[in-house]
Formats: sequence, C-alpha cells, structure tokens
Amino acid sequence: MPIIVEKLTHTYMPGTENEHVAVDNVSLTINEGEFFGIIGHTGSGKSTFIQHLNGLVQPTSGKVTVDGFDMSDKKQRQKGRALVGMVFQYPDYQLFDSTVLDDVAFGPKNLGQSEEEAKKSAAEAMKTVGLDPELFGEKSPFELSGGEKRRAALAGIIAMKPKYLVLDEPMAGLDPSGRRDVVATIDALRRELGCTVIMVSHSMEDVARSAERIAVLNEGKLYALGTPDEIFSKTQELIDMGLDAPQTARLAEALRQKGCDVPESIYTNERFIEWFRGLKHV
Amino acid sequence: MISISEVEYSYEDGEDAKKALSGVSLEIRDGEFVAIVGHNGSGKSTLAKMLNALILPDSGTVTVFGMDTADEKLTLDIRKKVGIVFQNPDNQIVTTVVEEDVGFGPENLGVPTQEIRKRVDRALEAVGMTDYARSAPHMLSGGQKQRIAIAGVLAIRPDVLVLDEATAMLDPIGRKAVLDIAKRMNKELGITVVMITQYMEEAVIADRVVVMNEGKVAMQGTPREIFRRGDELRKIRLDVPVMVELREKLAAESLIPDTDALTVEEMAEEICPLLLKN
Ligand SMILES: Nc1ncnc2c1ncn2[C@@H]1O[C@H](COP(=O)(O)OP(=O)(O)OP(=O)(O)O)[C@@H](O)[C@H]1O
Ligand SMILES: Nc1ncnc2c1ncn2[C@@H]1O[C@H](COP(=O)(O)OP(=O)(O)OP(=O)(O)O)[C@@H](O)[C@H]1O
Ligand SMILES: [Mg+2]
Ligand SMILES: [Mg+2]
Repeated sequence: MPIIVEKLTHTYMPGTENEHVAVDNVSLTINEGEFFGIIGHTGSGKSTFIQHLNGLVQPTSGKVTVDGFDMSDKKQRQKGRALVGMVFQYPDYQLFDSTVLDDVAFGPKNLGQSEEEAKKSAAEAMKTVGLDPELFGEKSPFELSGGEKRRAALAGIIAMKPKYLVLDEPMAGLDPSGRRDVVATIDALRRELGCTVIMVSHSMEDVARSAERIAVLNEGKLYALGTPDEIFSKTQELIDMGLDAPQTARLAEALRQKGCDVPESIYTNERFIEWFRGLKHV
Repeated sequence: MISISEVEYSYEDGEDAKKALSGVSLEIRDGEFVAIVGHNGSGKSTLAKMLNALILPDSGTVTVFGMDTADEKLTLDIRKKVGIVFQNPDNQIVTTVVEEDVGFGPENLGVPTQEIRKRVDRALEAVGMTDYARSAPHMLSGGQKQRIAIAGVLAIRPDVLVLDEATAMLDPIGRKAVLDIAKRMNKELGITVVMITQYMEEAVIADRVVVMNEGKVAMQGTPREIFRRGDELRKIRLDVPVMVELREKLAAESLIPDTDALTVEEMAEEICPLLLKN
C-alpha cells in the first residue's frame, strides 16, 4: 500500500505576524517499493513535508495516510508510525543514549527485540554504514565527528528495517566512501525487504543516481513531479528555483551551447560514457 | 601566517589512546585559499579548532600571526583574527533573535555597538538573510540556520575565515553563494580562507588542497595535482570530482586523450572539438 498525501498544508504560527505557510496544498502518492526523491531550495518546506509522513507534525489542513492509516488519528498514527523510519536532517536530534551501540539498538529494542538481539542488529547496522562496532560501539555519541554522527543516526534507523525509510539529507557530512556505503545499503534494503525510500537531498548527483521519481518543492508548493529524465531536462527552471542540474547535465548543456548535438537524456556520467562509446562506432 | 608544527592530539588520556591528530605540520600563508579534505574522523574539525585555540595541542605548536595558541593571554586576540563556521549551525546559535545572534561574536570581542549594527546588516546582506533579521533562529530551516552561522563569523571580520563544511546543508545556489563570498573575501580583501569540505568539486576552487588521512596530512598540492591521483584518493575513502571521474573513465577507454580538466567548463573545452570532428 502507498503513502497518500492529499491537499496537505502546513502553516507555522497561524494567526501571528510570523505566520508562514511552509507546505502549501501538496498532493502526491508515494508507491510501495519506490525510491522517491525530494528536492527544493532552502526553506522550500521539504523537512516540514516529510515530518508529516510519520505524524511528527500535523497538517493544518489536508491528510496523510500511510498504508491506509490516517496519520491525524491518534490510534491509527501509532500503527502508521511503526512503519516509517526517519533520519533527521541534523543527527544530533537523534542521538541521546550514553553509548553509540545502545543508541543504535534503541529502535530494534522498541520493536520488541531482546537486549541481546537488539545489540546484534545494532552492530550489524553499524557495520553496513562503515562504523566499526569495536571501535565506536562504546563511545558516547557526542564524542563522534560530524560524519560519524550521521552514520550512527543512519544505523539507528536501518537497524529497524522499516518499510518506509525517510531520509532528510542523509549524505550531508559523509565522506565519498560513506556516500557509496549508504547508497549500497539502501539498495540492499530495497532488494531484500522491498522497502520504500523517500530521500530529501540538495545533491542533484545523488538524486539523479538513485531516485525513480522526484518531487520538486518551491516555496511550499509542489512545482513538479516526474522521473529524473523529466525533471533534469528542465535545467534552467531548476536553476531559477535555487537548484541546479547534475554536473554531467551541465556539461551536456555547455556542449550544446558550443554547437554539439547531445541528447536531453544525458545527466549522469554512466549515460555520458555509454553515449560517447556509441558515437565512436557511428 | 598560520604555522602548525608537529602537532599531536588525543581526545582521551592514556598512552594507547587513539590520536585525532598525529605529527601534523602545515603552513598556511596569508591570503591563501586552502581546502582540507579527508575521510570522516580523519581530524579535519580537530585541526580547525586548533586554529583559534578551542583545542590546544598535546605536543607541538600552533602559531597564528606569531601568536602561540597555548598562551592564554593571547586567546582573545587570536579569536579576533580567526573566525570559524562549524559543521552544525545549531551549536553556534546562542540567542533568540537572528540579528542578536549575528552580533554576538563582535560583541564578545568588544566591538563598539554602533559598529556592530553596521557589521550585522552587512553580514546578513552578504548571506541573503536580511528579511530574517528579527526572526527566531530555531524557527529557520536547516539551510537558513547555516547562513546565519556564516553571517555571525563574517561580522567578526576575521583575517582568517575557516569554514568547516559550512555549505553542507545549503541548496546548490546557496552553496555557490557561500563559495563566492569566500572567494571574493579572499581575492578582494586578501582574507585567508581554510575550507573543509566533503565535496571534491568545491576543493577545486582552492589554491591548495590538503588531504588528511587518519590524523595525518597524506598529500598536498594544487587541485590539478591532487585530483590526478584518483586511485590513491579512493584508497583513503575519498574520490575525485564528478568531471574528473568522467574524464578518467573516458580516457581509460581511450575515448578522449588524457588531460587534466577539472571543471564542467574545462571538460566542455576538451570534448567539444572531438564531437564536432565526429
Ligand atoms: N518551527 C518553525 N516555526 C516557524 N517557521 C518554521 C519552523 N520550521 C521551519 N519554518 C519555516 O518554514 C519554512 C520551511 O522550512 P523547512 O525546514 O521545511 O524547509 P526545508 O525545505 O527543509 O529547508 P532546508 O533545505 O534549508 O532544510 C522555512 O521558511 C522556515 O523558516
Ligand atoms: N569530543 C570528542 N571526544 C572524543 N573523540 C572525539 C571527539 N571529537 C572527535 N573525536 C574523534 O576524533 C577523531 C577526529 O575527529 P574530527 O571531528 O576531527 O574528524 P573530521 O575529520 O572532522 O570528521 P568528519 O568528516 O566526520 O567531520 C574521530 O575519530 C572522532 O571520533
Ligand atoms: Mg530541511
Ligand atoms: Mg568534522
């Protein structure tokens, strides 16, 4: 079953002079098993939007249902929330236990695993995100570097193997190999469990590489919704909105400007190389 | 000039404690734009905190314009010279109104009130947050908070600007704006910039790239020199910029000649003639 968002509006501090419509009448459906990307300028409402998906924030109007559970209803919300694992934009909000291992084990324990099982799941999850449990398990989360904190926060959610994995800027602060690890981990989770991934990212590269569909938010409104092919063929519109195209798309555009004939569908290095190889045989 | 000599540092006590920095020596010249890259936990933030005496070396020395950071009497003077924007803006936000927050640094350093007003306005303008001067920082989005943190350091008017992944939460245009500010301050005002980043594309704009690995300086050189060493970089959990990766792969299949293009513009220059010939 999908996540259905209907006419969702969220207004911060309604009725005050600081009233701000952060999400404005957004309707969309996220299909089961899908990799759904969300992009948008700073302050476009991405974090506000996704916090509705686990009922952390309530709509001012409109409705969110997760697998049929209405997230505005207190009882149903509990059931819906159990399906959604959320990694926040700032890992500091997520880490609170006295050791990294306990922190990562917190989720699995909550799902009913025994102390021992939970620690095993936790150690497993730490390994998949490149945090050696031997080295980091007994450290305090507050003694981690920025990227290590991000990995710990990711591990905590991955350990729960949620049906819906909601990630707010998961790659920020990760080193290049960490970004590769996370992509591989997500791929594995999708393959093994068929889990649905919703990822907010400022990195057009990451979204272009992984997402099957992309929503573009602009000033709280759903500006566009489509496949990467559709979204990244609108380079100029993206730039006008504070976004950008993947670098390979910019290269393709620069080549067109110089009079070369490059197809619209080229926005990743893989595609560029494939296309370039083909040319040689013409 | 900043001079780092034989620095050792560990967050824990004891003989066998893991070292966050070990045997680090580095000179940063006045007016230089240096990028620091390195895997998570390689010691970049620790090194940054050494530059304005937030952390002192266990052994070895750090001197900033001739001032030894270990000398407590000089701490305030050092902090007037070196401003750092940290990874997590929340840890830097201290007041409940944006403009007070931006003025907090200069006020602490004893800048006169009149002057603070001016600096705050200029700094907010530079990061495009003038409209939010009276807002509450905790109500801002992630990227907006990050801009406020950057404005706070700009208001100190430091001689050395240290950006510790200051663009990590910004949208592409915001990221470009911050890089442009840093670049402009460097070129026009001669301010030294030390930029820590996980985005190899950003490191390309620096005069020099310093690569950290497990608490040590593993390589340094111009971006062109460093990013020709893709295999070595990948071994220490890093990578090359997207355009360099493309160039490497095309060259490996002999589809293009091996060049040292780094950016979209340079790649377009290289490839266009080949395409037009085809
Ligand atoms: N708690 C809050 N109270 C009032 N306004 C808020 C609050 N949180 C966010 N806002 C405002 O709502 C808008 C959307 O914020 P949100 O955090 O959803 O943006 P975002 O797209 O996630 O941005 P970023 O890319 O910077 O993380 C912003 O203009 C922000 O200032
Ligand atoms: N407060 C602390 N207490 C104990 N250990 C720490 C503390 N802060 C950092 N460390 C450790 O010191 C090492 C270097 O950390 P540092 O923050 O300098 O890394 P970094 O290169 O900035 O990493 P990142 O890219 O993840 O930000 C890491 O192994 C980290 O776990
Ligand atoms: Mg956000
Ligand atoms: Mg760091």
